[in-house]
Amino acid sequence: MPIVEKSLVSVDRVEHLEVEGIDVSGDWNTFLRSRVVTDLDVKIADWVKGQPQGETISRCWQCGTCTAGCCLHTDYGLEEFNPRYFIYLAQIGYEEELRRYASTIWRCVSCNKCVERCPKGVKVEEVIHTIGTYLELSGGAAESPADRFDRAYTENLLGRGILDEAALFRTYERLEGRRTPARELLRLGLTLLKSGRLHTGPFAHRTRGWNRMRKVLEAKLTEDRARRRASVPAPPVPSGRKP
Amino acid sequence: MNPILVLGGGPAGLSAASELAALGAPTLLVERESYLGGNPVRWHYSLLAPDLRPAEEVIGALLERVEGDARIERRLSTTLTKAELGSHGYRVTLATADASETRDVAAVVLATGFDHFDSRRKFEYGYGRFPDVVDFKELEGMLHDNKLVRPSDGQRPHRIAWVLCVGSRDLQVGNPWCCRLGCVVSIKQAVEVRQKHPEVDAYIYYMDIRTYGLWEDLYWKSMQEYGIKFIRGRIGAVTLAEGGSRLLATGEDTILSRPTEVPFDMIVLASGMEASAGTKQVAELFGVPVGPEGFLTPRLTDLNPVDSGLPGVFLAGAATGPKAIPDAVTEGMGAALRAYQYARD
Repeated sequence: MPIVEKSLVSVDRVEHLEVEGIDVSGDWNTFLRSRVVTDLDVKIADWVKGQPQGETISRCWQCGTCTAGCCLHTDYGLEEFNPRYFIYLAQIGYEEELRRYASTIWRCVSCNKCVERCPKGVKVEEVIHTIGTYLELSGGAAESPADRFDRAYTENLLGRGILDEAALFRTYERLEGRRTPARELLRLGLTLLKSGRLHTGPFAHRTRGWNRMRKVLEAKLTEDRARRRASVPAPPVPSGRKP
Repeated sequence: MNPILVLGGGPAGLSAASELAALGAPTLLVERESYLGGNPVRWHYSLLAPDLRPAEEVIGALLERVEGDARIERRLSTTLTKAELGSHGYRVTLATADASETRDVAAVVLATGFDHFDSRRKFEYGYGRFPDVVDFKELEGMLHDNKLVRPSDGQRPHRIAWVLCVGSRDLQVGNPWCCRLGCVVSIKQAVEVRQKHPEVDAYIYYMDIRTYGLWEDLYWKSMQEYGIKFIRGRIGAVTLAEGGSRLLATGEDTILSRPTEVPFDMIVLASGMEASAGTKQVAELFGVPVGPEGFLTPRLTDLNPVDSGLPGVFLAGAATGPKAIPDAVTEGMGAALRAYQYARD
């Protein structure tokens, strides 16, 4: 059914369609996937509840106090960041919809106002991070610029044990496939160097004994990741009577 | 003193009769069914909310008080067919299937109770057509007998939905009032199911959850400890799915603002409470005012909730509106006291 409400279209709901060799997806005759919820699944909620940080998820009764006070949602105006909604999607197991926010979830700045205000004692901040972890471990989410930045940041930090801003910027630009003009970089870099706020190249800080520390850290991270990945339930089966 | 007549042998009537006997008044307890105990006994209620005590234990204690007391004359399978106001009290006619007699009574306690809403009247839910759409009271019976199976094939259901407010808060069936117990009993049933069968997924479709007062505790526990899920939205229709082997609940998830069509193995309707046939009948016999909802109306709901305003006629229990057993028991006590005072003076 062609739709007129463009606001309803989000990239992953557009059906790609070709008519007689002409790609008509995403234009005036955009098609929407069915918006009907056809199944309920306790799998995600059970997994989240089983994690030490996620066990309060089942208390949530969707009052919206968390979202109302959320500094991202309300103060910063990032409407799609809605902790109440993330919790609900996890509770009813609506994975397809939840996945749209796989990256958004990580924009939480952990101010913990939600935890402070929740009338039911839901540790909202921990719960939504656990939901984010579930999505990350169960895979399939498209990487967003924020995800790429996180990756660059982690690599950078693991490299020397301390942040090198210039290197971080270069890595991120490479991952993003874009390039800031050299003149602009030079101007910015020199200003920061002069004011003593940039430590890179010969001036870079180092963490003493980092190589040994790094091995331990990397081993631990790999182990943690493998353990958590193993705990994630299998991908959803088509709806139907359970065996 | 002529005996005081208690009409109805449910929780309110049993409570009133035992209190009257304790006050030393001769008591005549009349029940239209062949047994005492009212709806809880009739439908084999399982555990009672919120303490999750077996109904048999609670009603059993009330029955014991009444049955062990020689001052209480019990008449089963008996109905009231006539009531005339005399100089002090009433002259009433009691009828059984084959006989009738006239008695003088000093005062009357009407504890004629409620009937469960007939869920067939919400035809869109398929009750009476689809065997796996069951009623509140039928699930109570299943839980009581420890036989949680689908009526259609005798299999254990994997996923059950409760639909709240069936025949309550609904102008389409002419019942705009809240049944007060649908929420807590549905939650109690879901908890009971999960206690016995943790592998069964339980979903409750609601508009509001009205577990008022201290009952809220059971609601919270049902989420935290028993993992019961609550979906906001009223089911619009139930149809068959998957070749008729499952039920499809069509509704709107009003939190998502999306239509939902979810398959279930069993659907439980939280059917509401209506004034019983007996309640309507005694209202006419005694001329007790009836509210727009069909329940008896006390003269002053705040100051004197058990007084009808008619001389010597007192009210108790669900005859005056949907009520939980503890409230019915309390009102039975209150009505007994007021009736005793009236008869004594």
